[in-house]
Amino acid sequence: MRRLGLFVAGVALVCTGAAESAQKIDQPVAGARSPRNASYDIDVTLEPGDHSLHGRERIHWRNISANPASELQFHLYWNAFRNAESTWLRERRLGGNTNTPRPDAWGWTDIRSLRVITQGRIDVLTPRLHYIAPDDGNTADKTAVALPLPQPVAPNEAIDIEIEWSAKIPRPFSRTGYIDDYYFFGQWFPKLGVLEDTGWNTHQFHSATEFYSDYGTYDVRMTVPRSFVVGASGHEVSVTESSNGTTIHHYHEDDIHDFAWATSPDFLVRTQAFEHPPLPRVEMRLLLRTDHASQEARHFASAAAALKYYGEWFGAYPYDHLTIVDPAFQSASGGMEYPTLFTAGTRWIAPTRAINLEEVTIHEAGHQWWYGVVGSNEFENAWMDEGINQFSEARTDEAAFGDRNYLVRRYFGGFVPWVFHDIKVKREWDEGLAAYRREAESDAEATPSFRYWPSTGGNITYYKTALWLHTLERSLGWPTLQRAMSGYFERWKFRHPQPSDFFQAISDAAGRDMTLFFDQVYRGSNAYDYGVQQLTSAPAGVGRFRTTVVARRFGEATFPVDVVTTFADGSKKTERWDGVERRAMYVYDTKSRARSVEVDPNRILLLDVNYTNNSRTLQPRAGEASRKWSLTWMAWLQDTLLTYGWLF
Amino acid sequence: MVFQSWLDGIKRVVVAPAIIASVFVITLLTALPLAAVVGVGINEHLGTSLMANEAADGINYDWWQEFASQGSVLSLNSTFTPSIIGFATTLDSVSSLLDRRPIVPAIAIAAVVYLFAWLFVTGGILDRFARGRRTGAYGFFAASGVFFFRFLRLAVVAVIVYAFLFVYVHQWLFAKWYVSATRDLPFERTVFYWRLLMYGIFAALLALTTIVFDYAKVRAVVEDRRSMIGALVAGARFIIRNPARVAGLYLVNAIVFLGVVGMWALVAPGAGGSGVSMWAGIAASQCYILARLMVKLQFLASETALFQRSLAHWGYTAAPVVVRPVPPIVEFQ
Repeated sequence: MRRLGLFVAGVALVCTGAAESAQKIDQPVAGARSPRNASYDIDVTLEPGDHSLHGRERIHWRNISANPASELQFHLYWNAFRNAESTWLRERRLGGNTNTPRPDAWGWTDIRSLRVITQGRIDVLTPRLHYIAPDDGNTADKTAVALPLPQPVAPNEAIDIEIEWSAKIPRPFSRTGYIDDYYFFGQWFPKLGVLEDTGWNTHQFHSATEFYSDYGTYDVRMTVPRSFVVGASGHEVSVTESSNGTTIHHYHEDDIHDFAWATSPDFLVRTQAFEHPPLPRVEMRLLLRTDHASQEARHFASAAAALKYYGEWFGAYPYDHLTIVDPAFQSASGGMEYPTLFTAGTRWIAPTRAINLEEVTIHEAGHQWWYGVVGSNEFENAWMDEGINQFSEARTDEAAFGDRNYLVRRYFGGFVPWVFHDIKVKREWDEGLAAYRREAESDAEATPSFRYWPSTGGNITYYKTALWLHTLERSLGWPTLQRAMSGYFERWKFRHPQPSDFFQAISDAAGRDMTLFFDQVYRGSNAYDYGVQQLTSAPAGVGRFRTTVVARRFGEATFPVDVVTTFADGSKKTERWDGVERRAMYVYDTKSRARSVEVDPNRILLLDVNYTNNSRTLQPRAGEASRKWSLTWMAWLQDTLLTYGWLF
Repeated sequence: MVFQSWLDGIKRVVVAPAIIASVFVITLLTALPLAAVVGVGINEHLGTSLMANEAADGINYDWWQEFASQGSVLSLNSTFTPSIIGFATTLDSVSSLLDRRPIVPAIAIAAVVYLFAWLFVTGGILDRFARGRRTGAYGFFAASGVFFFRFLRLAVVAVIVYAFLFVYVHQWLFAKWYVSATRDLPFERTVFYWRLLMYGIFAALLALTTIVFDYAKVRAVVEDRRSMIGALVAGARFIIRNPARVAGLYLVNAIVFLGVVGMWALVAPGAGGSGVSMWAGIAASQCYILARLMVKLQFLASETALFQRSLAHWGYTAAPVVVRPVPPIVEFQ
C-alpha cells in the first residue's frame, strides 16, 4: 500500500509538471486539429525533359516555442544527393553500400530567392543563407541551411517566407527521384525545421533516419504533362488543363506535416471505399503499375486492414481519403510514408500464400498513425514511429492475414519466389526476432537514431522496439497495452511527443512504474538471455526423487521469468523468479522423477536472444532432430554438388 | 539418329546398374562427412533442450534461426536455411550457380573432392558405355585409371574456360549488359525478361562448354586419344560437323532433365516428421538425386552413342584394351 501510495503521488507530480510546462500556443488553433504553425502554399512545375522542378512557395510560420526566434532553419533534403561527401552518402558507405552513383544520378535543390514578409515589410534575405551542419560539422553537406532574421520573431508571432527554388531531380537513391517516366517526390521542397523551446531542431539528412516537421495546411499546385496521372498528399481540389500541353493538379490538406506526390503516365487509377462503422468512411485511391493490375484487391484489402485494426485499437484515421502509390520497379521509393499518401511495394510474381505485399502496405498505411498523426521526431527517436509501427503492423498482419502468412524465399536474382508451406510465419518473426538477435547490443535505443551505426540501427529502431512492445503485450496483457497506446495516440495526435510521453502512457495504463523495464530496453543496450544451467532428478529414498533445478541469467539485462518444472506424472511446479541474481536454484522432493524444466515457457520475454537454452529435458531428442535435419541438409548438398558437377 | 542415340543411351545406362550405384555412392560419400559435421553441430546446439522435440517432429523455425545465426557467414551453419527443404534445394542450387553466389569454403572443398571423384570414374563410365557390354570392376577401374590423368589435364583446361565464363562473361552479362539494359526500366516484368535472357545466354555458354568437353572425353575414350588438346579439337570438330544432331540430342536430354526436376517440384516432400515420415522424405530426396545422376549418365551415354553412330564407330572402342584377369580355374588345368 505504501509503495502504491508513493507511486500515485509520483504520477500526479509528473502530470502536474507536464501540464505546467505545456504551452498554450502549441495547442490546436480554433477549428483545427493541429497548431497549423507551418503552412505551405506551393506552385511547382515538372520539366520531364531535363528532369527538373521549378517552384515557388510561401510559408506562413508561427513561432510556437517559448522563445523568440532570431533565425530560421530549412531542410534542403535533395542536396544529400548533390555530392559524394554529403553526410547521407558518407553514412550509406558506412552501411556497406559503396556503389558509386552514376553521373546522371545526382540531384540537388538551389534556393534562387528568399524573402521574409513581416507585418507588411519585405526583406530579401537570399544572401544571408548559409549552410549548417549541426550533427557532424560536415562542410560538404548542404542539406540544412540557416537564415539570420533582421529582427526576432516573438513567441506566437507569425511571418511569411517566400522562396523560389530549382531542383534537379535525382535518380533514385532513396525514397525520391525518377526512373523512366515515373516520378516520386518526397522531401522535395525547401522546408522549415522545427523550433522547439531549446532551439531549432533541424538535422542534416541522414541515411538511416527520416524527418520531423510542424503541422500546417498544404495548398499545392503541380504542373505536369497532360498525359501524366498525379497522386498526392491531401485531396484533389481541381485539375486545370493549360494550352501548352500541361495540366495543373491542385491538392489541399489541413493538419499535415509533409507533402509528397507521384506522377507517371503508367498508373492505373483505382478507387475503393473503406467502410467499417463506427469508424469513419475513407476513400482509398490506388495508383497501380500496369504490370501489377491483378494485385488491386490485395492492396485495397491490406490498406483496409490497417484502417480497421489501427482504427479500432488506437484511434480513427482522421482524414477522409488515403492514396496508395504502387511504385515503379527500381525506383527505391517503395515502402515510404507521407501524410495521407504512402508507397506500397510488391513484386510482379507475388504468391498469395505469402504476405509481403500486405506487410508493406499495412506498415506504410500504419504510419498514418505513428508518424502522420502522432508526429514524433524521426531523426532522434525513430523507434517512436518505426518501432511502434512495426509492432502494430505485425499485430495487424496476424489478425488480418495470419492464415496465409507462410515463409517465402526468392531465387534467381530475387525474381522467383518459393513458398514454404510448412513454415507458417509467427508474429515475432515479422517483428524481426532473428535480425534483432544478431545485433541486440549494437546501440542503446536512447541514442539519437541518426547516431546509430548505419548498418545495424534498423534492428534497434524497428525490431527491438517491436519485440519489447510485444513483450509488454504478453506481460501486461493486450487490453492494458491497447489502452496505453490508444491513450498515447489520443493525447499526442497532431503534436510532437517525446519518449518519456510514451513511457508515461504505458506506466499510466499498467498502473505501475515501468521505469526499470524502460531503463533496460531503452536506455541500455544489454541483451536478455535466460536459460537452464542444471537439471538433475535422482532417487532419494523409497519412491521419492530429489530434483534440482538451476535457472541462470546469462545476459546482463533482467526481467522476471517463470521457471516451470514438469514431472513424469504430468505434474508441474511453477516458480516466479525476479531474474535479478545470476542464478536461482529450486529443489523438489517428489514422488515422480522430473522430466523437463523451462525458463519462461510461455515466452513472455521475446527479447531473449537464445531460447534454445531456456529448457532442459531428461529425455532429450536432439539425436533424432539432428539425424533428420543433417540428412535433409545432405540432400541439399548432393543437389548442389550435382548442379555444379554438371559443368564437368 | 538423335532419337536412336538417345534410346541407345538409355539402354546403355540401364544395363549398367553398378555404374549408377557407384556414382550414387560417390555423391553420398562426398556429402556424408559434411552432413555429419552439421549433424554434430545441431546435436550440440540442441543438447537437452525441449526445442529438439518440435525440430524432430516437424520444423522449429525459432530454433532454426538461432542455430543458423551461430558462426560466421562462411560456416556451414550459414547454409542451414529453409532452402534445404524439398524443391527449394534445386531452386537454390541452380540459382546459386547462375547467379554466381559465393559458396562457403567447406562446400567448395566438397565440390572439388566430388569433381576429382567424377574425373576418376568418368573414364571407366565412358569406356563401359562405349563398349556397350560389361567390363567388370577390373576393366572399369583400369579405364578409370588410364583416363584419370588425361581427364585431369582436360579439367585444367575446363577450369580455365569456366573461370573465364564465371569471372568475365558473367560479369559482363549480369553486371554490365543487364544493368545497363535494365537500370532505367520501371517495370519488373520487363527486367525479368532481360534477366531470363541473361540466364539463357549464360546457361547456353555453359552448356556449349560442357558439350565440347563431353565430346572431347568421348573421343578420348573411344579413340584412345592421349592428347587432350587433340581430343578437345576433335570433339569440337565433331560438334561443328554435326551441329543439329548434337544440339538435338542435348535438347532431348535437357528436356528429360527438366522433366525430372519438374516431377521433383510436384512431389518433393516438406520437412516431414519423425520416424517413418522422416525416412520416407529422405528416401524421396535420394530417389531424386538418383534420377539426376541417371540423367547425367544419360547425357554421357547418349553422346557416346551418337558419336559412335555418326562416325561409323558403332560398337568400336579403341583402347585401352581390357585385360581380363586369369580365372582361378586355370590353376586346376
